Amino acid sequence: MKKFGISILFFITFIIIYLLQANIFPSLKIAGVMPNLFVIFILWIGLFANTIEAVGFGLIMGVLIDLIYGKVIGITAVMLCVIGYLGAYFDKNFSKESKFKIVLMVIGATLIYEIGYYALGGLIIGYDFEWLKLMKIVIFEIIYNVLITIILYPMIQNLGYKVDRAFKRNNILTRYF
Amino acid sequence: MNRNKQTETLGGVITLIILVLLIFLSNVQTSKISFFEGIASSVFSPVQNLFISLKNKASGNSKYFSDMELLISENAELKEKNSKLEEQVRELEIIKADNETMQEYMNLTQKYAEYQTIPAYVINKDVSNLSSTLILNVGSEDGVAEQMTVIADQGLVGHIISVSKHTSKVQVIIDPASTVSCSISTTEQSIICKGTLDNDQTLRASFIPTGAELIQGDTVSTSGIGGIYRKGIRIGTIKEIVTTSNVIDRYAIVEPAVDFRTVDNVLIIAE
Repeated sequence: MKKFGISILFFITFIIIYLLQANIFPSLKIAGVMPNLFVIFILWIGLFANTIEAVGFGLIMGVLIDLIYGKVIGITAVMLCVIGYLGAYFDKNFSKESKFKIVLMVIGATLIYEIGYYALGGLIIGYDFEWLKLMKIVIFEIIYNVLITIILYPMIQNLGYKVDRAFKRNNILTRYF
Repeated sequence: MNRNKQTETLGGVITLIILVLLIFLSNVQTSKISFFEGIASSVFSPVQNLFISLKNKASGNSKYFSDMELLISENAELKEKNSKLEEQVRELEIIKADNETMQEYMNLTQKYAEYQTIPAYVINKDVSNLSSTLILNVGSEDGVAEQMTVIADQGLVGHIISVSKHTSKVQVIIDPASTVSCSISTTEQSIICKGTLDNDQTLRASFIPTGAELIQGDTVSTSGIGGIYRKGIRIGTIKEIVTTSNVIDRYAIVEPAVDFRTVDNVLIIAE
């Protein structure tokens, strides 16, 4: 029941992020680039909830974004699923205590998401790859995402451990003893 | 006794002199003694001003209390009037904005009078940094269908890629997946304009015929080839020509006529 309530909260957060991304961030662009809060959010779910939740939310949100904006359905969905899985992988293999590690995870996730999105788009839709221009955009997006992560870090940790307790209560013994 | 007489005589003489002087001065025009008048006024006027201001203040204080109630009621009345006026200004601003939008639609319709058009408004823009799509407030119920051309006041915007009941999705010409067949105004030769990832929202014109002479500032418009866009819709101007060692590889940077960051009102060309 608690997990269901958290899942509803995740969905409400997604709507808030969508509204921010569509209405606020276009006017706060740095070098014509805006941040990608969807990546940070799905990575966060992967880190603090569990793999199914992260991949599932990645899929639902990705399909919704694709339905609203996409030229084809699936590219955003696949990439957000990958980010969700990546978050769960990071959770199993790295510590979440350090701010530096969280920042590194955000850098890695943004890089993988954008390159994957561009490559998949190129393969499915078919356009000329411009890797240098892509890297310029990705670098600015990483800077923006890292800034947001640093600003939101206390919230990421506090809420994250609450979610962690709700989703991994039964795993604590097996994980640490 | 003798001394008293002398004093009386002297007093009489001085009085007489003063009287004579007074008679004399009274006959002199004031303008001729303005110098002395200036000195006198400069000495006395500050003192006089001080007294006058003190007097005014004293009389004003007494009035202050009597006028207080009147002022309070006047103030309330003015505040009410002010709020009513502010409300009216807001209403007028809304009407003005509506009027501007309608004017823009009318200009657009007049400009593209030969086409049957559907006016639309941009309600959403892409959230990704790697693609450019617009969402319009009209859909299949308004007569919009896939592949229809979307134009703005300045030129071509893109084409409809999907339609729902009340909204439609537009692939903008600057999207990396967009390719438009164009022609150059001066030479009428065909080129291909592709969207790029550039932040300054430019197009890359490639497949330029080897014999074609491009001039910076040339207008680029749709060629009509490809089956989506009609012929002659303005796309933009040639901003820069990039020559390479191989003539076949040379390309040009085209600056779109439409500013996609601010585009709001568009027209959809109905079939």
